[in-house]
Amino acid sequence: MGGLQKKKFERGSATNYITRNKARKKLQLSLPDFRRLCILKGIYPHEPKHKKKVNKGSTAQRTFYMLKDIRFLMHEPIVGKFRDYKVFVRKLKKAYGKTEWSAVERLRENKPTYKLDHIIKERYPAFIDALRDIDDALCMCFLFSTFARTGKCHVQTIQLCRRLTVEWMNFVIASRGLRKVFLSIKGIYYQAEVMGQLITWLVPYQFAHDHPTDVDYRVMATFTELYTTLLGFVNFRLYHSLNLLYPPKLDGKAMSELKEEDEDDYAMNSECYLEKLSALSASLSRVVSATEEEDAELDQFPVEGEDTEKMEAREREQKQQEAQKKLFEGLKFYLNREVPRESLAFVIRCFGGEVSWDKSVCIGSKYEVTDETITHHIVDRPNVDKQYINRYYIQPQWVYDCVNAKIRLPVEDYFLGVTLPPHLSPFVEEKEGDYVPPEKLKIMALQRGEKPANEQEEDEEEEEDDDEDDEEEEEEEEDDGGNDEEEETEEQNLKTMQEQSSQGKSLQVKVTPGKVTVENKARLEQEEKAEEKRLAIMMMKRKEKYLFDKIMFGKKRKIREANKLAAKRKAHDDAEKSKKKKARK
Amino acid sequence: MAAAKRLKRVAASQPGFLNLKTTLDSVDSSSSRRKRVNKNKKKNWNKHSDINDVEDFLEDVRHQERTTGGLLSEKSDDSLFFLDVGKPEKAEQKAEEVVVGKKRRGKTSRPLRIDLILQHDSLVPPAKDVLAYQQPNAKKLRRIAQKAEQLAAKGIVTRRQKRLANRQPLDRKAKKSVTEANNNPARDYYDIWGQESKDSSDPWYLQQTGKKLVKRPEKLNDKPSVLPAVEVIAPGGSYNPDFFSHQALLQEAHAVEVQKQKEEDRIERQLAVNQDDKATEDTILKEQVEGLVVEENDEETAPNEEEDDVAVGAIVLAEKKTERQRKREKADKMKEQQRHSERQQINQQQQLFQLRSIKASIKQQEEKTNQKQKLRKANQEAQKSQPRRLGKLKFKPQDLEVQLSNELAGSLRRLKPEGSVLKDRFKSLQKRNLIEPRERAKFKRRHKLKYVEKRAFREIT
Repeated sequence: MGGLQKKKFERGSATNYITRNKARKKLQLSLPDFRRLCILKGIYPHEPKHKKKVNKGSTAQRTFYMLKDIRFLMHEPIVGKFRDYKVFVRKLKKAYGKTEWSAVERLRENKPTYKLDHIIKERYPAFIDALRDIDDALCMCFLFSTFARTGKCHVQTIQLCRRLTVEWMNFVIASRGLRKVFLSIKGIYYQAEVMGQLITWLVPYQFAHDHPTDVDYRVMATFTELYTTLLGFVNFRLYHSLNLLYPPKLDGKAMSELKEEDEDDYAMNSECYLEKLSALSASLSRVVSATEEEDAELDQFPVEGEDTEKMEAREREQKQQEAQKKLFEGLKFYLNREVPRESLAFVIRCFGGEVSWDKSVCIGSKYEVTDETITHHIVDRPNVDKQYINRYYIQPQWVYDCVNAKIRLPVEDYFLGVTLPPHLSPFVEEKEGDYVPPEKLKIMALQRGEKPANEQEEDEEEEEDDDEDDEEEEEEEEDDGGNDEEEETEEQNLKTMQEQSSQGKSLQVKVTPGKVTVENKARLEQEEKAEEKRLAIMMMKRKEKYLFDKIMFGKKRKIREANKLAAKRKAHDDAEKSKKKKARK
Repeated sequence: MAAAKRLKRVAASQPGFLNLKTTLDSVDSSSSRRKRVNKNKKKNWNKHSDINDVEDFLEDVRHQERTTGGLLSEKSDDSLFFLDVGKPEKAEQKAEEVVVGKKRRGKTSRPLRIDLILQHDSLVPPAKDVLAYQQPNAKKLRRIAQKAEQLAAKGIVTRRQKRLANRQPLDRKAKKSVTEANNNPARDYYDIWGQESKDSSDPWYLQQTGKKLVKRPEKLNDKPSVLPAVEVIAPGGSYNPDFFSHQALLQEAHAVEVQKQKEEDRIERQLAVNQDDKATEDTILKEQVEGLVVEENDEETAPNEEEDDVAVGAIVLAEKKTERQRKREKADKMKEQQRHSERQQINQQQQLFQLRSIKASIKQQEEKTNQKQKLRKANQEAQKSQPRRLGKLKFKPQDLEVQLSNELAGSLRRLKPEGSVLKDRFKSLQKRNLIEPRERAKFKRRHKLKYVEKRAFREIT
């Protein structure tokens, strides 16, 4: 047996991977630069399947990259820019050391910079790719725009983020795309539908930052650098899809209205425009001057029987959406100074409402408190001194709950000083048989257009009780399906027959004029269906039957658990009530 | 100029000329002795001829011109003299008062003395600067302009003009954008997806010179994790949560904490000193008398030796087989083989009748493998949403954001945000395998710090 001895780790997976340090050396970059490059180009570390093979027999934990990825990185023009920057820093240091100020100035003027446009184009070859990845960008930009300008990152970056987020919000308002809002303890989650994509983003509460120390700000800044570029291009495209001007221009009419105020108090001339935009109170001007948009109806393609149902469902959904888009149309809101202005203004404007605030709170207020046409006054304090008769004084949660419920909820639960109903997460979608909190059931009932049963009753507690009971019953009915009712009625019929037969032994034989039995078609159909189902169950093979039973058992178990939770809840509520009563006494 | 000078000289030589300075003669009288010099050389003329009188005279003329703006002898009497009619007292006083009043009110800016000294006070007008009115190459330019006019009138466009017109406009904007920073808040965006690349150059040239961007491999566009970018907090994390969902979240957080506590306890237990390892009085005593008391172990060792003997003997006992024995063994082996093959054949034939059971067993096996496959696939899917091990450190999930029941705020105004969005984003990036978990580089001191008491301090203590 001749031949050379095979060397280890020269073929196979060992050659497909490269450690981070080696990659760094190959690219001749420092570690921070290398990390930056990887983030910008979207090259992520990889965990090999067999670490020992890749790591030349060692089991030490290392960061690996694919060799091909690194090879791809070597062609990137930005790498050269990084090196230039390194040299620039060196020269600058030297000039500083020698106190050659003219040289410093000259170097500063020629500071090497780079653009990420080509990277965006490369990573997101189509617009829709970019839109799918916009969640991250939005979160990051919203986050950075709330940072204080204290040197944690560049002030310019913060300003750019602010500009982009304001543009985004204005776009969502213009497109009426907002779907869900959730106020969490962390921040506010928004979900919007843009060009058929559901986009979720998280906005921190204002002034809520304590800067955590275990976060790498440099990495975050690099991501933001990429995402600002991405978001800018996406914004441009979105604005143009709605025939809006980009960079956004306020409507001429709105502009003139805003101009009347004394602007100098709020911002310098250079910032004034952005501030006005970020007030979110004025609409944007379009390329084609505002023409009434015709409501384009969904094209209908007749398809086979099965799809009609789907189609109907889709249509219904669309109708609902249309209705949701006009949720606040015609309403006039006024925000008191203690409520989060930006969030509320954004949400209200997204659904067509008009909104204003005190002049001293922010630029761009449209009308005063004294305006008689205001319908809703949003307040977040226990009481207000001077109340106007012709408007509702409500707490801010009403707005968010309305958006999530897709209807205007009754305002009574949200009056001043009233204990609010819980703010439910719209991101939870209950499956059949899951436990649904009673508040949600209430909302669902309202959505179906049912009025809560005893609304007019004076005693609140009883009212609540009844409501809940009703809902529980409803729930059970839904679970059982409609079969029971029919069976019951049939049975009753039979019983009466029997009774009759038992009472009068001789049935009265009479000829009565025949009645046309009204055949309830729908009912018949239902019966038929139920019958079919029963037969199908009977005809099942043993194996399938087993599976079926298992599924049914699981469902029932779920229902049982849900019922248990509901009972628990009722007990909890009762306890609360009794406590209240005691306290009252 | 020259004419004017001559005129002045003529005027000065006239008998009515007045000298401003009268000390000329005294200077002349002092130099009494005349020096004899050869006058046949121009150098000596220049050196020894006395031109003081002329110089003085000219100086005087210049002086007059500077101070009065011309020769005194040429001036009219009106400009030189005036009629003295005594002091107009009142008017002057008033004027003075006004001046004084002004001074007192607010110091009007008086020119500095140095400025007054440096002021131009000569009455001779400055000489005209001829060069300022001259144009270099005026003649040539004029001629060119004339020619251009002529050509334009004829309607001829020169080659030079054509070339100028054809030249591309200087791209100043592009240059500006090069120096523009990436995070400039006023930067402009354009439709990056709409326009196709407008490379007019030859693709081959671009490729060869390394100016063409390398195509990105498709594989790089896959995301390293299936997790969504934004994970919405559980419904219990609402600022005003439903009672049960809040309880559920609390339960979850509690479970996490319990797990952590368990881990800690486990480590503590492992690190604790084992009771058996502790020195007791017994063991101490044993240690102290070690080697002093001799125990007899001979009985135990004796049988071992015997066994060894037997083992050695067994090797010796191996003996040679006889021919007969070998033959028989061979025959036995053949027989055995034959029987085995017969058995096999029969078995195979029998299997025909076992088809059903075989089928069943195969089916069972397949089912098993299928199930295993499914399980493995499910595991793989689950793995995809798990953070990978990308470096030295393992991913540590963020602490759950939870507010206890008594911390919950009744209204939005009193809400106290929990956790940090920044950290949430950072952890999300790590969780999705976009970056490896790292910890901040620790500061390492190269040399040990040396503490030295300052003398002043030492004196006090």
